[in-house]
Amino acid sequence: MSRAPLRPLARILKARERGENPDAIEAENRARRHEAMADKQRQRAEGRLLVLGLAFFCAFGLIGMRMSALASSVPEEPRASAVGNPIIGQRSDIVDRNGRILATNLQTHSLYAHPRDMIDPAHAAKELAAIFPELDEAELLKDFEGDRRFLWIRRQISPEQMQAVHDIGSPGLLFGPREMRLYPNGPIAAHILGGASYGREGVASAEVIGVAGVERKFDGFLRDPANEGAPLQLSLDLTVQAAAEQVLAGGMSIMNAKGAASVLMDIHTGEIISMVSLPDFDPNNRPRVQATGDQSDSPLFNRAVQGVYELGSVFKIFTVAQAMELALVNPNTMIDTQGPLTWGRFRIRDFHDYGPELSTTDVIVESSNIGTARIAMQIGAERQRAFLDSLGFLEATPLEMVEAPTGKPLLPRNWSEISTMTISYGHGLSSSPVHLAAGYASLLNGGTRVEPTLLRRETVEQGPRVVSEAVSARSRSMLRQVVTRGTASFGEVPGYEVGGKTGTADKPRAAGGGYYDDKVISTFASVFPANDPQYVLIVTLDEPSENSGDEPRRTAGWTAVPIAAEMIRRTAPLLGLRPQVDTPQQVGVTLTSN
Amino acid sequence: MSYLEYNTKYVPTGLRKLLHLNWPIILLLCAVACAGFLMLYSVAGGSMTPWVEPQMQRFAFGLVLMLIVAMVPIWFWRNMAFVAYGGSLLLLLGVEFFGEVRMGAQRWIDLGFMRLQPSELTKITMVMFLAAYYDWLPNKKTSHPFWVVLPVLFILTPTMLVLNQPDLGTALLLLLGGATVMFLAGVHWAYFATVVGAGVAGIMAVFQSRGTTWQLLKDYQYRRIDTFLDPANDPLGAGYHITQAKIALGSGGWTGRGFMQGTQSRLNFLPEKHTDFIFTTLAEEFGFVGAFTLLVLYLLIVIFCIISALGNRDRFASLLTLGIAMTFFLFFAVNMAMVTGLAPVVGVPLPLVSYGGSAMLVLLVAFGLVQSAHIHRPR
Repeated sequence: MSRAPLRPLARILKARERGENPDAIEAENRARRHEAMADKQRQRAEGRLLVLGLAFFCAFGLIGMRMSALASSVPEEPRASAVGNPIIGQRSDIVDRNGRILATNLQTHSLYAHPRDMIDPAHAAKELAAIFPELDEAELLKDFEGDRRFLWIRRQISPEQMQAVHDIGSPGLLFGPREMRLYPNGPIAAHILGGASYGREGVASAEVIGVAGVERKFDGFLRDPANEGAPLQLSLDLTVQAAAEQVLAGGMSIMNAKGAASVLMDIHTGEIISMVSLPDFDPNNRPRVQATGDQSDSPLFNRAVQGVYELGSVFKIFTVAQAMELALVNPNTMIDTQGPLTWGRFRIRDFHDYGPELSTTDVIVESSNIGTARIAMQIGAERQRAFLDSLGFLEATPLEMVEAPTGKPLLPRNWSEISTMTISYGHGLSSSPVHLAAGYASLLNGGTRVEPTLLRRETVEQGPRVVSEAVSARSRSMLRQVVTRGTASFGEVPGYEVGGKTGTADKPRAAGGGYYDDKVISTFASVFPANDPQYVLIVTLDEPSENSGDEPRRTAGWTAVPIAAEMIRRTAPLLGLRPQVDTPQQVGVTLTSN
Repeated sequence: MSYLEYNTKYVPTGLRKLLHLNWPIILLLCAVACAGFLMLYSVAGGSMTPWVEPQMQRFAFGLVLMLIVAMVPIWFWRNMAFVAYGGSLLLLLGVEFFGEVRMGAQRWIDLGFMRLQPSELTKITMVMFLAAYYDWLPNKKTSHPFWVVLPVLFILTPTMLVLNQPDLGTALLLLLGGATVMFLAGVHWAYFATVVGAGVAGIMAVFQSRGTTWQLLKDYQYRRIDTFLDPANDPLGAGYHITQAKIALGSGGWTGRGFMQGTQSRLNFLPEKHTDFIFTTLAEEFGFVGAFTLLVLYLLIVIFCIISALGNRDRFASLLTLGIAMTFFLFFAVNMAMVTGLAPVVGVPLPLVSYGGSAMLVLLVAFGLVQSAHIHRPR
């Protein structure tokens, strides 16, 4: 670059002398200097610019080509293609033995939000809070204005709610299809069905999984797409179940009991026709498990399956039947009932004093503890244990419910002679009402073992023999006499030949051992019709107290028996049993005419 | 040649400067901005609110700002280059500590009357400073290692600060813009070859580091790279932007669906439809013709800037004009490449069209500098 001054003084002076414009010199010098700019450096810069220009032209061309390629591509409709594992939402129905729906699915919608797409989050939050009173407006707004891209608002909404949310018109509020498990009969058979809730949840669908009862037990079957929606058929009869629940609930309130259970079982197949546990719940809105307190008082607790109780005198028939089977006694053998019976430091008493002796039949009819204990001593611990085992009293029932294994009988640690005696009349061994139903069914159906089941059985093969048919028939006859002339006189239902045995057991104290004086479990175990056995019915009341008399009456004859009778009266016609009316009672006319 | 040696008599003064403005550039800018107004009107569903009105006000304000900047002699701006660069570095640091976090990144600083994005400002001030640097630096020293490392530091400092926000797109633009100025200033080829080689190695390292404890990028950035390589993998998640944008471009076809008829953008399938992805709306409603026209408008702006720079014998003015033109080019090229699925989604707005205050004002101020360089060029 030229370093010469732009206005060289010497030249300017000379120019002035000549009268020329000195500015011309400066202009000439500037022009010369500008030419000097066109040096190597500048050429290089221009070369570089060319390179960049080429690169940019390439980028331009690339983008242009890309755009033309896209422009000429086939327009694709916007679609939401789900990827990954699809969540199977379809769950099989559960039906009763006649195909009536117990559990099904309902298409509802879930509501979720994409806060970023919201135009007016404050408005949306306000409207949502108005539609769903349980939502908090301030909290919603906080979520909507936070960093979250996605949030669930409600997992299930009704069509009306959906329309209302739709009317808010916010593009950030979205609906997804959602299957909901519906129990159209409400609390009927709640404990058996259990309930369902959501597992994996997606926007497009959600997994419904069983949480309790048969829903949980057969979760795999119900969710298996290979079944193609074939329903799960239970042995229950919806109408009988409904009637049984109604009768039991009424009876529970009349008898001031805090809980009640009933089991109605087909005596030959072991199918459970109805099974009730009160208090109950609505599986559509299954309550949470209590964190504190006695779980056995929770509505979720299934007294018929999970509840193991000392069931009392209802066990006497097992002792007597076994003794008859072993030919130790016959129905007319006289049994020493002189009390009290003392064994070591234990004393066994009877409710009444039955005098020095009773026939075996009367031991059952009058319910003598002493008589039964004497018979048990003849049988011995080993044989008693084996017999109860053959009836299923030593194991949890194989019922198809997840809760069944928890209903494990409580056995004496040491099956001593005193245990043998107390067990003979139903103390010292705790079992559930379902155990008792299965035991009665096995004993009274002709003497073959049945296993309780909740599934419909078309055919059933005969189980192993427990007692002979003759013993079974004699046992039924004894139980029939309990109703006709014994402790269960309220149990008579005209036309249905009810036979049964009462049991009233003092409740063990919660703490400290021993028994309450005023809290009992009263049970009536019955079979009907006694001459042609079809069904076994167990009714158990927890802490009943019948207060119509001078002092509260708690024995089963006053509490459980009338309820069972009412239940038979209501359900027998539903079960298709024809009442056996042998002779029209014309005699009544004669009596009134006198 | 330096302005100190100018005879300012040949430079227009006062209002006569208006006549010497580079009017084609101004007209092109207005045309592009109008396209932006149309698109914002359309994505708002045929409404002036919430986007068109503020955008128009900002554009008007920006134009005035541009004229003011243009009236001020270019040598003043050269002298201010260091101050501007230092100031924007301070603002970037300020964002680091006092910035407002929005959409997961710390980019904004609240000035009271507006929220400024210092990273946008830095794009211009850095180019300005580098131009001034090479104007000051004697030609012989241009390729001297020390005098090469120095501008590299000037570039890397703001780049790192922006990367930390985190804003990958702007960081890349800063890096590329700075490198372009250095390239134009005549730094030796070998340096660039080395850097490109190192860059390739760096990219390899970034991929190697994935999933290890020294992972170099954030997970979402990796996912964006994955998505770029195969957007079909995750059409509802990370690939959603690109998939929907491509659908929009495809459904636009050659002539488009017509103004306000774009379903993709109007029905909210497209996220960021008024900012980074506004180009898809244009492409859907006006088709290839409209999109290509916009591309040509942008290119014309760049070409007029290059012509102006070639006719300017002042080194600072010419480097500054070229640098701004290149930054501008990178802006829209990266955005369009991103939207058409040629480049990863890095979050670069479409200049003058996308809704956004800082970017537009800064860009117009930059064109004010271009105008100032044009008016006050040595004659």
